[in-house]
Amino acid sequence: MTSSMLSPLAQLHPWLMHPATLFILGALLMPVLCRINLKNAALVIIPLVAFFQINMLPETFGQVSWMGFDMVFGRVDKLTYVFLHVFTLMAVIGSLFALKVEDWGQHTAAWLYVAGSLGVTLAGDYLTLFIFWELMAVASTFLIWYRKKKKSIEAGFRYLLVHVLGGLILLAGIFLKYRATGGDLTFVQILPTDAGLGDYLIMIGFMLNAAVPPIHAWLPDAYPEATVTGAVFMCAFTTKTAVYVLARGFPGFEALAILGAIMALYGVAYAVIENDARRILAYHIVSQVGYMVCGIGIGTAMAVNGAVAHAYAHILYKALLFMGAGAVLEMTGRSKLNELGGLYAKMPLALIFTVIGGIAISGFPLTSGFVSKSMIIAAAGEAHRTGLLLMLTLAAVGTFLSVGIKLPYYIWFGGKSEPSVPHAQDPPACMLWAMGIAAFMCFFLGVYPEFLYRMLPFAVDYQPYTAYHLSETLQLLGFTGLGFYLMVKKLGPEPKMNLDLDWFYRKGSLKFMAFASGPLSKVNDWVGEVYRSIGLTWTMLTARALSWFDKEGIDYVVDGTAKGVVDTGDRLRQAQTGKIQHYIGAAALLLFGIMIVVILL
Amino acid sequence: MTWLRERAEWFKWAFFAFLAGAVAYDFMAERHDPHFFGDTLIGFWSVFALFGCLGMIVICKGISHAWLMKQEDYYDDK
Repeated sequence: MTSSMLSPLAQLHPWLMHPATLFILGALLMPVLCRINLKNAALVIIPLVAFFQINMLPETFGQVSWMGFDMVFGRVDKLTYVFLHVFTLMAVIGSLFALKVEDWGQHTAAWLYVAGSLGVTLAGDYLTLFIFWELMAVASTFLIWYRKKKKSIEAGFRYLLVHVLGGLILLAGIFLKYRATGGDLTFVQILPTDAGLGDYLIMIGFMLNAAVPPIHAWLPDAYPEATVTGAVFMCAFTTKTAVYVLARGFPGFEALAILGAIMALYGVAYAVIENDARRILAYHIVSQVGYMVCGIGIGTAMAVNGAVAHAYAHILYKALLFMGAGAVLEMTGRSKLNELGGLYAKMPLALIFTVIGGIAISGFPLTSGFVSKSMIIAAAGEAHRTGLLLMLTLAAVGTFLSVGIKLPYYIWFGGKSEPSVPHAQDPPACMLWAMGIAAFMCFFLGVYPEFLYRMLPFAVDYQPYTAYHLSETLQLLGFTGLGFYLMVKKLGPEPKMNLDLDWFYRKGSLKFMAFASGPLSKVNDWVGEVYRSIGLTWTMLTARALSWFDKEGIDYVVDGTAKGVVDTGDRLRQAQTGKIQHYIGAAALLLFGIMIVVILL
Repeated sequence: MTWLRERAEWFKWAFFAFLAGAVAYDFMAERHDPHFFGDTLIGFWSVFALFGCLGMIVICKGISHAWLMKQEDYYDDK
């Protein structure tokens, strides 16, 4: 992390030291790499180069002045480094897992997505952050669309719309912040006491990507519809990038502490009742990210350390679980628990790796979950937040129940001695290798937590392996197992789906449309009919009456006056004979007439 | 794997032994820095986990059956 260690890449060109550049170049070259049969080599080498490159980054680099904005593409400190470390490691594992995929578009989308995440992590200002934020949204949408099923395409559109909305909220926050600070968009920590409307909008934008309820439903909607390899990338990057930006900008916000604990339970509750393996895992992302959001909300050094450590551990074991469920989907074409079972002899390695992921997420001693999750729970205890502590512990019980036991049990056993899919077998070697690396990391972090603790943003004063913590964990896990044993029949998978808040924009919008085209439209028609039959008739009658009055009244008077004048003129003209005796006669007649009138009156 | 599966009974008894061991271990575990009253009670987390697990299954399944659960093609109906 010192400028004296500039890598050969940086000497080649300064922009090449930005790890996102490597992935963007790789993504753009992917069609060519596929054509000249260098795809597999690139899929291994580029992520590895990026993984080592992050150790050679200076503290600040890539400063650009653009249209009056000071953009910082590279800002490296301990918080950045730990996320860069796990993101690039995940890129290595994810690319290895996807090695067999021949469709270059999937690799391009996945790497642009990784580049977006790395760009956000390294961004020193909100504008740079926003650019990479949107790159992530668009690239990850393609990972859903590339599944090429009708449901995936629809889910991809919903995913994109939700993220565009989140991006707009973020952008609105950035604008307000720009105005409030007089043009300073540096991305630094915001104190809860100083936060304005712009800051809260930015936080909501971040929370949407972290899948904080009630703006979480995009996640369990979209992830199960993504491609097998795409879901592995997706489970690692979007939510954890959001955790990074929340940890960077918003530690100590009480709303995050409370919503995080609610998230942890909310996700678990759905995981208990869901049927689709990848949907269960998607809900578990909501739950596990809840721990991280809660830790950030508590805001103490230990809690933020715990959140970051848990993000690191989570990326690896969740990717492992998604790889396990993905391998089952890839090899059997099924992901619903009620359609699976009895595969233990057919896919033993996938079983072992998935169980390792399951025990790591459940926080078994010697696994990564034990050393990271407990740090957040202990931090809640130290901050005297007993309510949060109990909620998070209950979520841990549900985690072991749903992902530690239920998921592997119903995929590989489920009380069936015959395999549900007779032709099933373990996935190809590259997939097993990727799962093996992730599984190794789950144990490595659990056995040697100092490796992780050393990277954390604050100095760590926490010892996970104490007698009481071990006792607590063994009891929690053991008696959760007993609960499952007692209720195994009640937990049986059902071929149904459960409503979530995406109802509002899926069925809710349809219902609104139905309302608009049904009752609302009828009312509209009725009003139209009333207008036609009463209003229009009345108008016509009035118009006719006015027309008649115009013709018969006004025109008669005006025309009649004119005609009268003409007629009178005619008559006068005829009266003017020019003969004096006629005039004398007429005068005598007139006089005679006047006299009669006078006499009669 | 099949061989192990045929001996599922062994696992059952090993599991119950583990549960007893976990509670027994709690008698010995030193309570450093208890955060709330539950930390001072022996076997608290056993009870918490068992009732938490059973409660979660009953409540979540109950809500699901009563309200949330729909046919898989629920969103396909236009």
